[in-house]
Amino acid sequence: MYFSPAALLLALTACEKEARVIAADQPQTSPRGPQDPRAAAYENNAYQVSQGGRYFSWYGCGRCHASGSRGDLASAGARRDLPHLYASIAHGHTSGARIPPEQIWQLAGYIRSLPRIDPARRKRQDRDLRGEPQGPTWTGALR
Amino acid sequence: MSRLDETWADRPGWWGFLTTVDHKRIAARYIVTVVAMLFLAGMLALDMRLQLSAANGTRMGPQLYDESFSLHGSTMLFLVSVPVMEAMGIWLVPLMLGARNLAFPRLTAFSYWLYLGGVLMLWVPHALGITPDLGWFEYPPLSGPGYAPGHRADIWAQMITFTEVAALSASVNIAATILKMRPPGMTLARMPFFLWAMLIASLMTIFALPAVMLVTSMLIADRLVSTQFFTPAGGGDVLLFQHLFWFFGHPEVYIIFVPAVGFVSAIVEAFSRRPLFGHIAMVLSLLSISVLAFGLWVHHMFAVGLPRLGNDFYTAASMVIALPAGIQIFCWIATIGSGRPRFATPMLWVVGFIATFVIGGLSGVMVASAPLDLQLTDTYFVVAHFHYVLVGGAMFPLFGAFCYWYPKATGRMMSERWGIIAFVLIVGGFNLGFFPMHILGLEGMPRRVYTYGPEMGWDGLNLLATIGSTVSVLGGLVLVANALLSYWRGAPAGADPWGGPTLEWAAPSPPPPYNFEHTPVVTGVAPLWEHDDLPVMTGLKDDAREVLVTSVLDAIPLYRQHSPAPSIWPLLCALAVSAMFVGSIFTAWAILWGMVPIAVGLILWFWPVRGRATSGPLRARGQ
Repeated sequence: MYFSPAALLLALTACEKEARVIAADQPQTSPRGPQDPRAAAYENNAYQVSQGGRYFSWYGCGRCHASGSRGDLASAGARRDLPHLYASIAHGHTSGARIPPEQIWQLAGYIRSLPRIDPARRKRQDRDLRGEPQGPTWTGALR
Repeated sequence: MSRLDETWADRPGWWGFLTTVDHKRIAARYIVTVVAMLFLAGMLALDMRLQLSAANGTRMGPQLYDESFSLHGSTMLFLVSVPVMEAMGIWLVPLMLGARNLAFPRLTAFSYWLYLGGVLMLWVPHALGITPDLGWFEYPPLSGPGYAPGHRADIWAQMITFTEVAALSASVNIAATILKMRPPGMTLARMPFFLWAMLIASLMTIFALPAVMLVTSMLIADRLVSTQFFTPAGGGDVLLFQHLFWFFGHPEVYIIFVPAVGFVSAIVEAFSRRPLFGHIAMVLSLLSISVLAFGLWVHHMFAVGLPRLGNDFYTAASMVIALPAGIQIFCWIATIGSGRPRFATPMLWVVGFIATFVIGGLSGVMVASAPLDLQLTDTYFVVAHFHYVLVGGAMFPLFGAFCYWYPKATGRMMSERWGIIAFVLIVGGFNLGFFPMHILGLEGMPRRVYTYGPEMGWDGLNLLATIGSTVSVLGGLVLVANALLSYWRGAPAGADPWGGPTLEWAAPSPPPPYNFEHTPVVTGVAPLWEHDDLPVMTGLKDDAREVLVTSVLDAIPLYRQHSPAPSIWPLLCALAVSAMFVGSIFTAWAILWGMVPIAVGLILWFWPVRGRATSGPLRARGQ
């Protein structure tokens, strides 16, 4: 059978984007410099990005960095690479030291994905997550 | 006869394969695809059973287990059960009507190609590692944009669209054929019970399937263009999804079951060697099932939290459906009891069906009660219940029907000995495997867990369930092997090996492309038992594709209708539709631009080949 290289490439990248690795051997360490190969596996993977989005609301990031606010991180996600973002979450925030490394990877991956997300879609995703805890406050299930 | 052959035969080779509109060839394709799907879904089931056979299983992680049960459920419901019933209708309805083809032959071809599109839509991404993982009903918000990243949920939703368009095409076709193409003399009152079952199932399909197409399209819109149908924070409602889904989902169970009732009745009648006991009561109970089926979807949502009155009403409605189902069971028993039954393989399957289905029906009455359901919901009791009704109530009759009509389709008999071995393995293994699940459910084992701890004490029964399922799968392999080997090595069957009462047994085995040399004329509900020589009607052309159209109630011949010839356009249109469906996962613009090739395809498909009428209301102007 004949496969065109382009189709094959598309299929492989689709796999990378769609892969869902739920296992114990997740990163326990921060990025080893700007070329860390693990970055791609976080910022290009739909599942990791989505987990990062959930932690984004759980850790209350949205209080200062809400979509469309002055602290919106979409431009930061476009400007900085993932290891930079990792460092500013882990060391630029007082609570950063308490977040496990894997979750920081996911948070940074989420921020890297923000400039690629259509604003309407980001708003729609945030609406789905409205029932999640927002930082230390949780108002209960949506009614 | 050679002239009929020439008129109705397909071109040889690939071109004939791609363009055929012969309902028998298309139905055979459907069934081969279904068997492949059944095999894959069975392997998935076995894999899951191996994972659960002991506590703390490590064969699968949670993600793989989620994908496995989602794929198993979606395949069995959307790619096996419904299509196989449509396929049996596509194959049998014209034969049982003494007709040359279905009412819309090219729509039959279109229906298969789209069904194949649905199969590929689910299984090609699976091969690439992108598998829907949210169960067979993918409730939002779990399937919404906030919680289901990537395209897994979209793939599931579009697979539904494919298969539902295919099923709607087949149902419209079957209903129109039964209503307008019955042979002279076959009034509605003289219509064999199987045709009633297919007619009712087709009408139910036409009413039920739009609901699920609507709801999956709304889900795709939520995910693709950020509409807010299912997000409470945006004024949407997640329960809307459940209501619309189950407004389809419950009738769907009966869309699968009603044709099975038709199989059972046909087999019981032929092997008891007497007309069906209580034919009218059977038809009426089928009609009442079809109406009631649309009024009890909420019993799938008892645990959601509904007003008391709602729960009470749907509890009552769910229990009421046991009455018509009971009438049918008693009518079959009365037919067998008052006839001269012969227990060949098809009849054994009926016995297996009655025993298994009654158990499933009884556990159904149990979970129909809202308070008990609240205890049992999402436990293995429910898993046991729906496997008893779906496998016992639909798959066993299907296997019986397969054995019953196999000689007609292939001209060969299946081995009776291996048929009995397969029957014992499947029915025995099934009951051994699934009965313990009732007890596991009562002990509290939840559905959809990928493993459990040893302290729960569920190991023994789970191991038993795995052993039973394995035996059942082995039986399935024996059944398929028997069918394959008998195709070449079976004894020649002749036209009527079982002494059947309905018209399909008057055609040669396997039936030629034109089915019947002459259109039969019918004087009763069991035409072949009433005459040694079937009366026939002449007058259809043998050098052009013509079919007879009759009136809806009394089957009075009205006119001869041209039946469309083979065409490549159904395939090309199905490809265009597939391109639109697949594209719309990625961009909303695919819907707009995808319409263009579909429109071109449909215009060419329906390009008129006849001149304008020169008389009557459709007369061309100026003539």
